[in-house]
Amino acid sequence: MGETAPLCARIAAIARNDPARAALADGTRSATYGELWSQASRFAAWLRGNGVVAGDRVALVLANGIEAAAACYGAWLAGAVAVPLNAQARARDLVPWLQHCGARAIVHAAGSADVDEALRAPGTPALRVAVGAGARSDTTVSWDALPACADAPATAHHAGDALATILYTSGTTGAPKGVMLSERNVASNVDSIVEYLALGAHDSIVSVLPFYYSYGASVLHTHLAVGARVVLESNTVFPQLVVEALARERATGFSGVPSTYALLLDRVPLAQYDLTSLRYVTQAGGAMAPALTSRLRAALPNARVFVMYGQTEATARLTWLPPERLDEKTGSVGIPVPGVELDVRSESGAPLPRGEVGEVWARGANVMAGYWNNAEATAQVLRDGWLRTGDLGRLDEEGYLFLSGRRSDMIKTGAHRVHPQDIEEVLAEIDGVVESAVVGIDDELLGQVIKAFIVGREGSVPTPEQVKAHCRARLPIYKIPKHVEFVAALPRTASGKVRRVQLAGTPQIQVPK
Amino acid sequence: MLFGQGGCDVALELQRQVKDFVLRNFLFTDDDKALANGDSLIRGGIVDSTGILELVGHLEQAFAIRIPPEDMTPANFDSIDAIGAYLARRLAT
Repeated sequence: MGETAPLCARIAAIARNDPARAALADGTRSATYGELWSQASRFAAWLRGNGVVAGDRVALVLANGIEAAAACYGAWLAGAVAVPLNAQARARDLVPWLQHCGARAIVHAAGSADVDEALRAPGTPALRVAVGAGARSDTTVSWDALPACADAPATAHHAGDALATILYTSGTTGAPKGVMLSERNVASNVDSIVEYLALGAHDSIVSVLPFYYSYGASVLHTHLAVGARVVLESNTVFPQLVVEALARERATGFSGVPSTYALLLDRVPLAQYDLTSLRYVTQAGGAMAPALTSRLRAALPNARVFVMYGQTEATARLTWLPPERLDEKTGSVGIPVPGVELDVRSESGAPLPRGEVGEVWARGANVMAGYWNNAEATAQVLRDGWLRTGDLGRLDEEGYLFLSGRRSDMIKTGAHRVHPQDIEEVLAEIDGVVESAVVGIDDELLGQVIKAFIVGREGSVPTPEQVKAHCRARLPIYKIPKHVEFVAALPRTASGKVRRVQLAGTPQIQVPK
Repeated sequence: MLFGQGGCDVALELQRQVKDFVLRNFLFTDDDKALANGDSLIRGGIVDSTGILELVGHLEQAFAIRIPPEDMTPANFDSIDAIGAYLARRLAT
């Protein structure tokens, strides 16, 4: 795949040539491409004016919104590295992330107690911009008060291999893993997705996926790169509102994880809405049961259903299943996206014959440069230009990938990725907890839910409610264990490692050595 | 009879019952001060997309009503006050 134009240059060209074109809608607010770029340019000028230089990190702790998009592109315009952090994260996660990436500036929602607490820690950014009412203070500039700039700053923005963004995929245990994505990574994955979804300026997508996750970022970038419109819906707590937005906005596209579709199909009478404008719906973020895919297709007969697979380390997308082949390739996540190569290998890295289950390796312009300041973790997954995904699967005779599990302990619950250690670390702080093991157990709606197995100290074992209350005070809502079970001992291997697979009740998949 | 006498008492009793459930199941406490009746359950990160299903399931069972999808809006479910008022309307019909 050839060199592609930087994403910023493409969006800037649309803003220049067609400034009145609708870019983003967020509730009663909206922004044209001209307005979006004006905000991005103001932020870029402010960053440069305050000494931010190419390669400096700019943290963004924002829920989806016009400002969250403008702040990302503004950071890029200034030549900086955008570091979108989970807006649901608590201070205990935010502090190590901010310190680890050495952020020089931060944009955050005004009034966030966790951000305020995090920013009292040493080594957190001194340049602060807050979005929303009550934003201005002695130490913080209000987003709305960023000075207007007569001219957009000359695009300092990097091209090619320069770092564009860092996405943290794990929390505080050990060295955080911040996926480093270059401009080339982002632009190439955008091109691949635009090609197979056939996205164009006429498209309009309703997005419920947070920009701080790779899937949500990908939805944003792919649509703005081609002049399409992104309609933001804050979440799926009220699925009816999402469907109303799809109908009202005459959306041509929608993206979700399996639980998003389960909620929409189970809780909303879709047949009562005119959804005939929907041209494509995309699904990633974990395996969706074929039965759910079938229900989705039946409920949206005009829409092409794209089953996809990827991971943050590959910018977002690695494979897609052509909708026309859903029936004959049931359970597959499809073929590599344009520009990506896949291989299935043994434990030692030797290629395996077609049909045999092994670890999925990927290569392409979308594969990350590594984890920020974490050479050890980088060396574990990057080998000779290939990314070891940690996912297990097989390729059929036509090269279609069928996934069958993961090598790692990561839990996929709804749209979230959770590392058990982040929760175990919090559980260890409870009086009466000797040790614990956290696993994902199967759940019809969320794919997995979190279960904690705890060995309690005799005479002072906490109640499950006390355990959950402790977690609630320290973790975002999606990391609170749904189930808590007390056990006499944790099952271990001969070498002393906890047998999480046994606790989760999932079958062990053997990969050839 | 589920409630005390009079409309005001009914609304207060409904609020109390809903709040007890939210405190126990989402905040894991019986401390009434942990949540104000007007607090946003969604913005406060107290109830998420699965929490709302648990809440609705509980209300449907406890009050023997069916809550249709079109009623699941922030106006009806984003605070203890809102849920209490919604239940009072539903149970009055």
